[in-house]
Amino acid sequence: MISRVFTIAWNTGREAVRSKLLYTLFFFALVLICASMILANISYVERNRILQDIGLASIRFFSVAIAIFVGVGLIHKEVERRTVYTILSKPLSRGEFLLGKYVGLVGTLWLQAGIMIAVFAGVLLLREIPLEAGHAAAFSLLAVELAVVVAIATLFSAFTTPMLASLFAGGVWIAGNLTRNLRDMGADSGIEVVQQATALLHRVLPDLASFNLSIEAAHGLPVAASDVWLPTLYGAAYAAIVLVGAVSVFERRDFK
Amino acid sequence: MSAGAPPIVRIQGIVKDFRPGLGLRRRRVLHGISFSVREGEIFGFVGPNGAGKTTTLKILMGLIRPTSGAASILGHDVGETSFRRHVGFLPENPYFYDFLTGREILRFYARLSGVPRARLRARVDELLAWVGLTRAADARLRTYSKGMLQRIGIAQALVHDPSVVFLDEPMSGLDPIGRKEVRDLILRLRSEGKTVFMNTHILSDVEMVCDRVAIIVSGRIRFEGATHEFLAGGEPEADVVLAGLPPETAASLEEDFRARLRGVAERIELRVAEKLVNPLLRAAITAGAEVVSVTPHRMSLESIFLSAVEEDRARRNRAGGEERT
Repeated sequence: MISRVFTIAWNTGREAVRSKLLYTLFFFALVLICASMILANISYVERNRILQDIGLASIRFFSVAIAIFVGVGLIHKEVERRTVYTILSKPLSRGEFLLGKYVGLVGTLWLQAGIMIAVFAGVLLLREIPLEAGHAAAFSLLAVELAVVVAIATLFSAFTTPMLASLFAGGVWIAGNLTRNLRDMGADSGIEVVQQATALLHRVLPDLASFNLSIEAAHGLPVAASDVWLPTLYGAAYAAIVLVGAVSVFERRDFK
Repeated sequence: MSAGAPPIVRIQGIVKDFRPGLGLRRRRVLHGISFSVREGEIFGFVGPNGAGKTTTLKILMGLIRPTSGAASILGHDVGETSFRRHVGFLPENPYFYDFLTGREILRFYARLSGVPRARLRARVDELLAWVGLTRAADARLRTYSKGMLQRIGIAQALVHDPSVVFLDEPMSGLDPIGRKEVRDLILRLRSEGKTVFMNTHILSDVEMVCDRVAIIVSGRIRFEGATHEFLAGGEPEADVVLAGLPPETAASLEEDFRARLRGVAERIELRVAEKLVNPLLRAAITAGAEVVSVTPHRMSLESIFLSAVEEDRARRNRAGGEERT
């Protein structure tokens, strides 16, 4: 099973590496990271913090954008182009195929994020800004967030078109970043129904804000170990549940 | 295959309903079809477009789930996956990852099919030579012609040396040379002892390569049997052309003599069993018709195919008429 999943994953990575869209987004991210040096120079105060804010936000935004744009076509494209016909005629289950596609895209995104992070680290070194534990924590949780976002995009890709899937996945990402605020607002409202509804939303939607340690990294704030491993555990469980749902949907599909 | 040996492919009472759109209405595309394929034969699954050939093949490949009925390959239910290491499949108008080269795509499929690492390189080279693509092996698939893609499709179906191969319209869209090449490849598969299941609507190809055929029309199997029986055997028939036949007599002749009727200008052509020609002529002449010609008819696959389609059309017209009345 592992070798079949790896074969699909490797090929997915190879396809992504040879994709033009991905290079375009990747190039923009690198430009923005480098441009953060110029933007930081415009400011008179807290140049180093602004540089880090822009750099970290660029890495996160572009990584998530690539995850959504490539992820939503992950399965749909295979069905639409009928490449899935020959692949699923081999001794490979639909679950293995979907898992392979997922692992391949997550691996590619981690590699790309790694390159962006290396460029960002180079920029920090040029400005003599030290890399701290907060940076490492932020990058680790970015990797977890990407795994969750790709799982969500894969789920939508398993049953709908890329256009709708990108709207759904994008919507979930935005809502997932606001779900904590929603829950807190609900709690403050004093209305029981609103409290229960916002608490339920917080439970169902991914709490993506828990993966964002950009502020801690940029400000050099201390990060507890539990701030990393708890969200990591949560992210892994969330992605696994979403993937089980995606496999279940994909298993039921007829390829007309 | 020995008489008692189990069939390689068995389809029993397969029904498939599709739900067009989001409504509750269902459209039945396969009406309880049954047939089997024997070891070592080239089996032609023949039918007009929309008859249900590809749906049947997709059910066999596990790409579509049947509504009811059972299908098995090599004794395994088609819902299983492990037995697929003995099965090869070429879909209609295959599409492959065009960012890969011919060699890369075959390696990809070989790995998925569990070809041992030690044999992989040699097997891929062997297949590329087998389908005549050694020189184009390192070119990206997006630069391949349709014929080359069809050949790489056949190579991927065979890369793991399966014992049964399913081909969906393998000669469709190919020029005469390409069709001849694919036909030769299929005959080579049989000479290597493989079982070949071929979906097609090109009857001349079926006549040339298939040992047995099944004809499907509107989701129902109309004929199943050996190709040579269709071509040489069967009941001898004749085409009788009559002029001035009253319409009511034509209808009764069609019914009484199980003749297939076709109107040609002011004449009527009836295809009827040879032994029924004399009584039919007597009845026609009594009704005032003039005999234009009587021609013995050689049964061909095409005629069986066309008559099945016509019968189906007539059956549906009758059903429509009854519904209206």
